[in-house]
Amino acid sequence: MKEFQLVIIGSGPGGYVSAIRAGILGIKTALVEKDPFLGGTCLHRGCIPTKALLHTAYLYDEFKHAADHGLEAGSLSVNFAKVHKRKTVIVRKLSKGIEYLMKKRKVEVFTGKGVVFDANTVSVAGADGEERIRGDYVILATGSTPSQLPTIVPDHKTILDSDDILALETIPKSLAVIGAGAVGVEFASIFNSFGSDVSIIELLPRVVPLEDEEVSQTLEKSFNKKGIKTYTSSQVTSIDSTSGGAKLKVDTQGEETELETEKVLLSVGRRPLTDGIGLDSVGIQTDDRGYVQVNEYMQTNVPHVYAIGDIVRTPWLAHVASAEGILSVDHLSGKPVEPIDYNKTPSCTYCSPEVASVGLTEKEAAERGYTVKTGRFPFSAIGKAMILGEPEGFVKIISDEKYGEVLGVHIMGPKATELIAEACVGLRLETTVEEIFKTVHAHPTLSEAMLEAAHNVYGEAIHI
Amino acid sequence: MSTDVIMPQMGESIAEGTVTKWLKQVGDGVKRDEPLFEISTDKVDAEIPAPAEGVLLEIIVNEGETVPINTVVARIGAEGEVPSKETPSTPEPAGAAQPEPTPTPTAPVAPIVPVTPATAAPEPVTAPPPVAEGPAEQRPVKSSPVVRKIAEEHGVDISLVEGTGAGGRVTKKDIMEYIEQSKMPTAGAAPGPLQTPVASVAPPAPGVSPPPSPAPQISFPAGEREAREKMSIMRKKIAEHMIRSRKTSAHVQTWQECDMSNVMKRRDALKEQFEREGVNLTYTAFIAEAVVRSLLAYPSVNASLEGEDTIVYHKDVNLGIAVALDWGLIVPVVKQAQQMNLLGLSTAINDLAERARTKRLSVDDVQGGTFTITNPGVFGSLMGAPIINQPQVAILGVGVIKKRPVVIDDAIAIRPIMYLSLSFDHRLIDGAGAAKYLAHVVNELERPV
Repeated sequence: MKEFQLVIIGSGPGGYVSAIRAGILGIKTALVEKDPFLGGTCLHRGCIPTKALLHTAYLYDEFKHAADHGLEAGSLSVNFAKVHKRKTVIVRKLSKGIEYLMKKRKVEVFTGKGVVFDANTVSVAGADGEERIRGDYVILATGSTPSQLPTIVPDHKTILDSDDILALETIPKSLAVIGAGAVGVEFASIFNSFGSDVSIIELLPRVVPLEDEEVSQTLEKSFNKKGIKTYTSSQVTSIDSTSGGAKLKVDTQGEETELETEKVLLSVGRRPLTDGIGLDSVGIQTDDRGYVQVNEYMQTNVPHVYAIGDIVRTPWLAHVASAEGILSVDHLSGKPVEPIDYNKTPSCTYCSPEVASVGLTEKEAAERGYTVKTGRFPFSAIGKAMILGEPEGFVKIISDEKYGEVLGVHIMGPKATELIAEACVGLRLETTVEEIFKTVHAHPTLSEAMLEAAHNVYGEAIHI
Repeated sequence: MSTDVIMPQMGESIAEGTVTKWLKQVGDGVKRDEPLFEISTDKVDAEIPAPAEGVLLEIIVNEGETVPINTVVARIGAEGEVPSKETPSTPEPAGAAQPEPTPTPTAPVAPIVPVTPATAAPEPVTAPPPVAEGPAEQRPVKSSPVVRKIAEEHGVDISLVEGTGAGGRVTKKDIMEYIEQSKMPTAGAAPGPLQTPVASVAPPAPGVSPPPSPAPQISFPAGEREAREKMSIMRKKIAEHMIRSRKTSAHVQTWQECDMSNVMKRRDALKEQFEREGVNLTYTAFIAEAVVRSLLAYPSVNASLEGEDTIVYHKDVNLGIAVALDWGLIVPVVKQAQQMNLLGLSTAINDLAERARTKRLSVDDVQGGTFTITNPGVFGSLMGAPIINQPQVAILGVGVIKKRPVVIDDAIAIRPIMYLSLSFDHRLIDGAGAAKYLAHVVNELERPV
């Protein structure tokens, strides 16, 4: 039996980053992956392929307005097969990159389904049979899979999950998206740009329900302007297949609407993949929804077994999984560690316009007893946003009146997902509003919106 | 024209005060209400703000000198101005009105006044006034902007806060714990001396003893093996008081242990609600509540002796809370504590402790106590044997809360345990009465949620 100091099951952004970190620290590490490629959901069925499609959709939108810039490009059409091909090339390249990093860090990769066999043994069921490997420590990073609803189950032809929709060969004429979380609104944006007639149905009263209310409201307006129909506080009561796709009955607080659509996307969250990975064999505890229970250092109740990423009850985000991976490797190797402050991890939604946030929403801050002071600044008053032709959206800073501490930053607008990094550093460093407005921001940049929003916490924005 | 700075009258019964420290030197610019000098009186130490803006022209009363109230101790005026010598630096006749400090209109350029009311942009950050012994040797310390704001408001010297962030950086959590911790009344024996500066205590988790903190630095004259200095006024008062109490009362101690599980539960349940009220809910508040309730049940503990043979029972529970200071110890008093609920007690205790540390107690704040609580547990002590605060007849010593194995129903359990000690005056209270009183306090604290 091959022996390792650390065995990691799952090669997504949780698992492979853990493996690299372990390699850096000189820990003899094995990485077990059931798929033939490394990278997990993020690289193959999530972040990377969707953002590749989003960028193409974004460029397509830009080209549609080329004439506004004085660019005459003739007729414009989408070759969807090529769109996919570019996406696939990017994914392959990055996957090869991970393989290279594994070699560089001397991590041994095992292909096959990894199952915890006993306290220190992981069995790998590969194409050539089962192999058992030993690890002093084990990190579980088996990830998640799209959730289903009790009444709506994807048939993977008309009713799709996020894995299926990435493989669509043609652009559907119409698409009904069930669930207006990050995944839902991103695909809504993609197919809206490519010309599909998109509707989006959300059970909760607003789109991107985890974001600040003001962001939700503004995004919904923007969607409606682009022709995306939004049904909030709404529920799909029935789906019948038709010759052209499906017919949905949508109940909006008692009011019924019928939608004819070619495709349906079910994007109602994800569930942890913890079945059949051998949790019972060593008595690892899960909660009522199947998440592995861990302490602040990601240790399960079996102290040498750690669990990270989508199988624990922390935000379903690749960067959170990576941070948890590094934390657990540092912890098991005895390095000084600091638990992750989940209030300060950013969340990014790459719809158009983009949405990004870190820290508390206005409502959450008030609920925690802060006297909230907010500063808001619209991109419509930012020169660079005008140049980009993307004046939609705003930066909103949530601060504590008493000490001026920045408690949260919410951005909707151009490059929001890039701009949020400044706020992440700020929150991590426990910044006050004053530090932000005293930081000289370059001109002309989109980041000036952050500067102005900080000024506006005190009603003193310059350019408005 | 210059403005006189006088020795203020800190209380009705106070006739004189000692200048203990000048926070500004001659020639330094001062802002109105900026701390200018520190004084020590019979009852309290205080930081005295400048009565006017300008330049400190002259220091008339030097550090260590004691003068009657209303004596001019310094003059503030415009730069280059010659101190007006003709003003007498002797005390004004008794009954004379205290001169209203008037700001001197000497600023060369008038500041721009906004035409419309200014919005609430933060004031430029000024350095916090030194809290303890002057600016001293400040070690550079990493902290965050919000920590510096909090430190400024609470007058905390950040270099005394243990940083748990990257590279020892002081985080918001660190300073909030530090402030909460230093709000807990602290003392070895009240009002006995305390060697450890309260400021260097690390934020303790329940059951974790704080690490020993460094003793104050003594500077030895070159070549000398000993250093001598005069006791501060506060130190002298403490010394006198301790000896007097030992001579007066027949000190006896009794100890009991207390399971703090239920207090912890109650605290966890109430903490957030209190935070929303802006009040830090400390264990001390719970202990104070239990003490007050028990005193109402045992009036002989809330009493004092007058002469040799007269017992005075107090209707009010005026609860003294010993607060350790970097420069000594003081026991501010929560008046009529029997009328307060937990929120009221928390607020009053936090306020007094904060004002004690910032030298903003009035004489009234430290008088009239009928019983005292002291908490050497903050510094990790298991229990204390405090000296009674005269003319009271008992004092409660609070030990550290520590998880211990205890036997409950013949099984071993882990519980947060705290030892309570009661020093009582056997002239008035007998062993049984003291033990019953202490048991009452324990029962109050262990009362189910």
